[in-house]
Amino acid sequence: MAHQDDYFTHEIIRNGLLALGDEMFDALKRTSKSPIIYETLDFAVGLTDAQANLVTQGNGVTGFLGTLDAAVREVLAKHGNHLQADDIYLTNDPYGGGGTHLSDVTLVKPVFADAHIVAFVACKAHWTEVGGKSAGSFTSDSSEIYQEGIQFPCVQLMRAGELNQSLLDMIAANVRLPDMTLGDLWAGVAAVQVGERRLRSLLDKYGAPTVEAAIVGLLDYGEAMVRAALAKLPHGSYTASDFIDDDGLGHGPFHTQVKVTIGEKFIADFTGSHAQVAGPINTTRTGVTSRIRAVFLAATVPDIPANGGMFRLLEVVCPDATLFTAQRPSPTSIYWETGIFAMDLVMKALAPVMPERIPAGGFASVCGTIISGEHPESGELYVLVEPLTGGWGAGAGKDGERGQFGPGNGETYNIPVEVAETRYGVRVEQYAFHTNNAGAGRQRGGNGTVLDYRIVGKEARFTGTYGRDKFLPWGVDGGQSGSGNYAEIRRADGSMQRVTKIAQARLAQGDLVRLYTGTGGGWGDPAQRDREQVLQDLKNEYITAAQATEHYGMTRA
Amino acid sequence: MRVATDVGGTFTDLVCYERLADGSDRVRAVKTDTVCPDFEQGVLNAMDRGGIAAAEIDFFAHGSTIVINSLLARRGVPTGLITTRGFRDVLEIARGNRPDLFNFLFKKPAPFVPRHLRLEVTERLDHHGRVVEPLHLADVEAALKVFQREGVQAIAVCLLHAYANPDHERAVVTEVKRLWPEVAIVASHEISREWREYERTNTTVLTAYILPVAARYLDRLDARLRDAGLRVPPYMMQSNGGIATVESAKRNPIALVESGPASGMLGAVALGHAIGDLNLLALDIGGTTAKCALIDNGTVKITTEYRIEYSRKHPGYPIKTPVIDLVEIGNGGGSIAWVDEGGKLHVGPQSAGSTPGPAAYGRGGTEPTTTDANLMTGRINPALFAGGDIQPDMAAVERALSKVARQLGTDVTSVARGILRIANDNMSNALKLVSVNRGYDPRDFALVAFGGGGAMHGAALAQELGVRKLIIPVNGAVFSAWGMLVTDLRRDHLRTQLLPLAEANLPALQALFADLRAEALAEYARDQVASERVVCEQQAEVRYKGQEHTVSIGLPGVELTVEEIAQRFAAAHRKAYGFTLDSHIEVVTLHVVAWGRIDKPLLPALAVTGRGLDGAYKGTRRVDFDAQGVHQAAIFDRSLLEPGMEFAGPAIVEEPSTVTVVLPGQQVQVDRFGNLHIALHRPAASAPSQPALQ
Repeated sequence: MAHQDDYFTHEIIRNGLLALGDEMFDALKRTSKSPIIYETLDFAVGLTDAQANLVTQGNGVTGFLGTLDAAVREVLAKHGNHLQADDIYLTNDPYGGGGTHLSDVTLVKPVFADAHIVAFVACKAHWTEVGGKSAGSFTSDSSEIYQEGIQFPCVQLMRAGELNQSLLDMIAANVRLPDMTLGDLWAGVAAVQVGERRLRSLLDKYGAPTVEAAIVGLLDYGEAMVRAALAKLPHGSYTASDFIDDDGLGHGPFHTQVKVTIGEKFIADFTGSHAQVAGPINTTRTGVTSRIRAVFLAATVPDIPANGGMFRLLEVVCPDATLFTAQRPSPTSIYWETGIFAMDLVMKALAPVMPERIPAGGFASVCGTIISGEHPESGELYVLVEPLTGGWGAGAGKDGERGQFGPGNGETYNIPVEVAETRYGVRVEQYAFHTNNAGAGRQRGGNGTVLDYRIVGKEARFTGTYGRDKFLPWGVDGGQSGSGNYAEIRRADGSMQRVTKIAQARLAQGDLVRLYTGTGGGWGDPAQRDREQVLQDLKNEYITAAQATEHYGMTRA
Repeated sequence: MRVATDVGGTFTDLVCYERLADGSDRVRAVKTDTVCPDFEQGVLNAMDRGGIAAAEIDFFAHGSTIVINSLLARRGVPTGLITTRGFRDVLEIARGNRPDLFNFLFKKPAPFVPRHLRLEVTERLDHHGRVVEPLHLADVEAALKVFQREGVQAIAVCLLHAYANPDHERAVVTEVKRLWPEVAIVASHEISREWREYERTNTTVLTAYILPVAARYLDRLDARLRDAGLRVPPYMMQSNGGIATVESAKRNPIALVESGPASGMLGAVALGHAIGDLNLLALDIGGTTAKCALIDNGTVKITTEYRIEYSRKHPGYPIKTPVIDLVEIGNGGGSIAWVDEGGKLHVGPQSAGSTPGPAAYGRGGTEPTTTDANLMTGRINPALFAGGDIQPDMAAVERALSKVARQLGTDVTSVARGILRIANDNMSNALKLVSVNRGYDPRDFALVAFGGGGAMHGAALAQELGVRKLIIPVNGAVFSAWGMLVTDLRRDHLRTQLLPLAEANLPALQALFADLRAEALAEYARDQVASERVVCEQQAEVRYKGQEHTVSIGLPGVELTVEEIAQRFAAAHRKAYGFTLDSHIEVVTLHVVAWGRIDKPLLPALAVTGRGLDGAYKGTRRVDFDAQGVHQAAIFDRSLLEPGMEFAGPAIVEEPSTVTVVLPGQQVQVDRFGNLHIALHRPAASAPSQPALQ
């Protein structure tokens, strides 16, 4: 069938590229052996052009929007002169480009047409185990990257279709759950192969020049959409500053600041923020750029699939060696707390001037949780790894969402209680909204959640990374601040310890870990809240009677 | 006489099959307007219109959108939830996911039960179903007091780990019935025995929410049909591709949620059996959406990963009921074409519906639709538009198309072609999702296209996918109703139980299957279906240890061995994902499909009068086939085509409800039933020979 190289053909190719992202996503999810991948969907898949511009990314984690193209750039920089068909590269280097923390491993595969590269397919996933000082690999108390797991400095997994078995052997020897880790590796291979196959069918049908022209058009379309959106936004410079609680090793708080300039471009300048720190909350340029890309799209073109053309109009400015741009060998194990903080900082600068796009401050932490131990039935090591749902800040015209993964997540799913109790040596005793006194406003911040894990096995270890407990989710326009993220370790002997960043705490059978996530900040003066809504809140016990009186002036009828 | 009726949003379709005194078969089809909200009146109207006497009916099947519409329009009853202490917010927290990635003012789906009507009882089971904390029945009484005060009309009960042991749920239901016998109630284990508490709770809540609505409708329909003289019990079409008695449907009405799309796919299965072609891609193009499913060796897959209101913007609501595994997209005849701010042309998902309808209806529609593009390109005969009932307003069509043409800086002809190409592309991507994406090669399949738009778009899609051939069935516009006539009773019994694949676990596996079969037989006995008519198929959801997602494999009632199961799993995993692992294997969920066989009609053969092809030829018309050029296409009257006739494209085959587009170079043969078999245009000399028709 003859195909004209025209507008409609390009549309169809672009739809095919989008579908490709979805198919890669599905392949990875369905074959992975890590709950963090198949249940919480902590991964990203997509395609770049031959110059490492992002073309399409499957639906997944919002905050990963910069990792794939950075990894491809790294592959080009290191191997650009000897790439072959059926090569696959592996990278997790946080400083060099593609990496964020060592748990996030990216696979990159070039796709050739005739003798030249047309595109790269890539996928990044959080492997549950990459070795390092403690089970689950990420930790809140590392002081250098060497404690955080095995490093893949952009190495060959496959050379022209031939597997590098030595690399596999090395991985297996350096991780605690080799079966799971290698399972994740193969799931990634399946994903990039699915992506290549689908791209190949487009290339076979339309020819490389047409597909490449369609990609150029897609990137230009992204740029045009953002340009049109920027023209409608309020031009000017907006600033915000805030403090990060601590670094996991007891230092802190740390000053951070941003100046967001909206004009022809969208510029986020973090100059003046604190230097890189001793603990593992540092993020690198890749990590922070990824997060800022997400909030940039939220502010400009939230409704269309992301691509690299859009990012031509984004600049992230920050000197080297800050806690947003850490250098080797700074630890980055829980980089996301700072990445999300950067995103939250931009939101804080923009919310007052863009109420139609940006809400008040939310719980703004991944609340990464690891519980590991010996399964009481199988006797095998289990590692429960999960982020938590929490409360979102209120918008100018809506209440904040209750019990939802943060803006930096996306298609992220919580682990069902029934699944958790089967797989891990825990019993869940509640999963509910709490009514910590916070977030009052004309529009209320969403309630955070409380989640209880009782240890039913002999003993267990608990690691937690809860940000934003000292410096709370911010309200807007008279709205009250939200509440903090923290955990309580309640021991069988009746003692209780309140923690926010904790590594490898030893738990005994019968001990309970209670995880609180923050309630979001409010928007507007609580006194202006609609009386009927307050009554409904009270009836549904989203607020207590005392809060109804204190914040909303309700007296008992 | 056998009758099936399908109530859709716009039309109520009826198909009647009867064997005449001379031994020949006759099929009649009727299309009438749906009567809302008295849907049963529309059914009776259709019977009147078709001159069908209820007393002569030997078999009556019925499909309706009552369940899905009640859910989508939020027309259920105030519902209360009883759940395990500590977990009333599971329904609202849901899974915490957000497909609308960059919308930071996202609103999560509102639960169907508000928090103050989600009440907890003290009780707890562990994941083996063992009692950790006994049930405190007094909590049930307290909950009912709140429900009664708040005007609750239906109660959902979902307790943790009830899939493993439903005792506590049963005890709650018994207590509710004792204290409040007239309230509608359903417990999770009656609907789903799969783990994941949010999905199961939501399923139970949605079931309770529509329980009284569905019961009222089914009772009313049953009574009106009986008043009209129907002597046999009517059967209800379910989403799993089987039918159920009225009693069974009232107990589990959520099983009716996708009955319409399911029956169309079953029609395709039956057609496949009739023509001896068991590998089909089935495509149903309606006014608002298109649905497709893959039929592998005569069977369609069933899934419980079903969600309503799910989109790239909205997480939707999961319903763990067995549904035919189909992909539905917002592309149909009424889909509106529009240009976004970046200058990109889209088709759908908004639909012009029947009011104002496509621009051609002349009822004020100013946006171009797929139907308008089909008119503009000459594919639809203006004289036969909408069955000849409407004189299309071609000036309005041009106005609508030129609006888009201006936005794109092109002309009306290019826009009409572009709309069709993009609509076709959306549909071919959906077809790839059910085929390529699941490890099937479209070249091994024939495409069966039906529904109002199937015949118009089938040719281009077949060519695009490179399928073996295209089939446009007889009565394609009422295919869903026809599908109900040729289906069996069906029940799906699923049970989640993790069993490592090992010799030692085979007895447990056998025992569970035996349990599920006994359950199925008991349920059929309740509905007075003779046990000799019941056939059980065994399936299992299996995975590698460590994986979460499973692959479904058939385990026919032969002797189960570890090797047999492992081999079947490895083959299925390789097919789906392209690799196998040297890992332990786990059986996760057992699934028994229990069929209650009923006598089904055969597709009647079309009479041969000896009329020549000339008799069906109506002349030529100028038709724009886009990339295949503009041609004077031969026009045929489908009602005058006879078995054995053959002709080549470019051609258009007209019938009152639709037209079949045949592209240049495609070859049409009419089979003995009147189905059109269209061989693709294969420019290369390597075109495979077509198998002879029966």
